[in-house]
Amino acid sequence: MIAELLALVPVQRAGFGLLLGAIALPPVGVLIVGLDIYPVRFAIMHVALLGSAIGLLTGTDPLLWALALCALAGGGLAPFATTSAGLSGAMGLLMSLAIAVALLVLSISGVNANGAFELLWGSILSTRPVDLVVLAVLAVAIPALFWWRRRDLSLLLHDRELAACSGVRTGPLTMVLLVVIAVSIAGAVKLTGALLVDALTLLPALAARRIGRGLTGMVVASIGIGLVVAVAGLLLALALDQPPGPVLVLLAGVIALLAQLPPMRRT
Amino acid sequence: MNDLWHVTALSLLLEGVHCRYGRHPAVHSVDLDVPAGTRVALIGTNGSGKSTLLRAVLGFQPVSGGVIEVGGRRAGTSAQWRRRRGEVAWIPQLRSTGRFPLLLGELLDSSGDGAAARGAAARLGLARLESRGVHTLSGGQAQRAWLARAVGAVAAGAGMLLADEPTAALDFAGQEEAAAVLTELPVTLVVATHDRAVADACDRVVEMAAGSLREVA
Ligand SMILES: Nc1ncnc2c1ncn2[C@@H]1O[C@H](COP(=O)(O)OP(=O)(O)OP(=O)(O)O)[C@@H](O)[C@H]1O
Ligand SMILES: [Mg+2]
Repeated sequence: MIAELLALVPVQRAGFGLLLGAIALPPVGVLIVGLDIYPVRFAIMHVALLGSAIGLLTGTDPLLWALALCALAGGGLAPFATTSAGLSGAMGLLMSLAIAVALLVLSISGVNANGAFELLWGSILSTRPVDLVVLAVLAVAIPALFWWRRRDLSLLLHDRELAACSGVRTGPLTMVLLVVIAVSIAGAVKLTGALLVDALTLLPALAARRIGRGLTGMVVASIGIGLVVAVAGLLLALALDQPPGPVLVLLAGVIALLAQLPPMRRT
Repeated sequence: MNDLWHVTALSLLLEGVHCRYGRHPAVHSVDLDVPAGTRVALIGTNGSGKSTLLRAVLGFQPVSGGVIEVGGRRAGTSAQWRRRRGEVAWIPQLRSTGRFPLLLGELLDSSGDGAAARGAAARLGLARLESRGVHTLSGGQAQRAWLARAVGAVAAGAGMLLADEPTAALDFAGQEEAAAVLTELPVTLVVATHDRAVADACDRVVEMAAGSLREVA
């Protein structure tokens, strides 16, 4: 039965999208853990929703609006990294503002709000070619960024002041990272839906934290875990005839949980 | 080892420096003139403003008034601050940073001269720990690691070292070794310390009290 399902184009697209996401998104989770900005997921989802609303209002592609607005929001957050309230406070504010404006836009345009919320309920099986292009770009750009700037990133994620003392341009680098995080979350929301975005971002990163050594080890481990979650999760969902999103999250959650267990005693 | 290094010690000038946290003044009208190559011990009770003052020189603490010059240069733009942080090596007061794994080897290499820093680390008893995460080091080992990093930074061209209680977590032998390493460096040294041995090895002692500075010896 699985073989028949795998012959269907939407399923193939879903599988391909998941593989690309499993390469692009876990390193983003590593960034979220490293910068200690867990609220960024919610803030960016609300901004994506605003983008989606504008897309509906103007009759243009909601995903592209979401990506553009999220990139802008990510860049705009960067200056808060050095303030005492930090990034998380600014993100809470951004989240409330974005949802408020989104609701106003929807109300003014008279569009049915469900259309905008569809973005948040995004489903893997509704992956379109344009979504695949976005994910493919991310799957190349993000690992490349990590490899190219691995020294600067390990220092910055460990300690901002140490990085500044080591010649790292912390301001511009933080801005690039926040834009990457924001765009990736917007892309991931389309893939898995908002409520399940952690399956390929945060959960693999949390699991990898206990496995990988140093930043490079952690990123490699997180991608490995992401790929396992993506492949096993999709096959399991097809076999059980259940929606892939929740199955992926459960699988990722179990792996993250197992990684937190203390190592087994050998004596 | 000094003659292997082409380091120019830099002068430090503070004029009327003020720092505050919110409305609470932490550093009040501080003047200090340190000629290039001088070693100054900065003593004072807990909370008197030593760390705040040192961090202000590196731009990690905003200054609400006054002038800070290193080698006769002020810093304002981000390029100038980057230059300042290359010229001034820094040993922060021991704190629990690093939520995120950084290997000791990476910390040493970040100094700009990994070979010199690794050499100093070996001398300070960290030889076999280079692939360990910094967060797994003991307090004293971490302090030795930062001292070794400072040696690397000086080898890479820093002409000044600001050290914030660099021997506070060290055992007796370590305090002596560290004092020797610190005072051998061919740079201008400002060291915040509660350690007699370190203070005695310096040319001058200045004392912070409730945010103000006065000369002691
Ligand atoms: N982040 C902060 N926010 C508010 N007040 C602060 C902050 N950091 C330090 N202070 C206050 O500023 C004053 C000076 O602190 P500082 O850390 O410079 O003292 P110190 O001389 O280095 O002390 P110690 O010997 O304990 O290291 C203290 O009263 C301290 O409570
Ligand atoms: Mg202090």
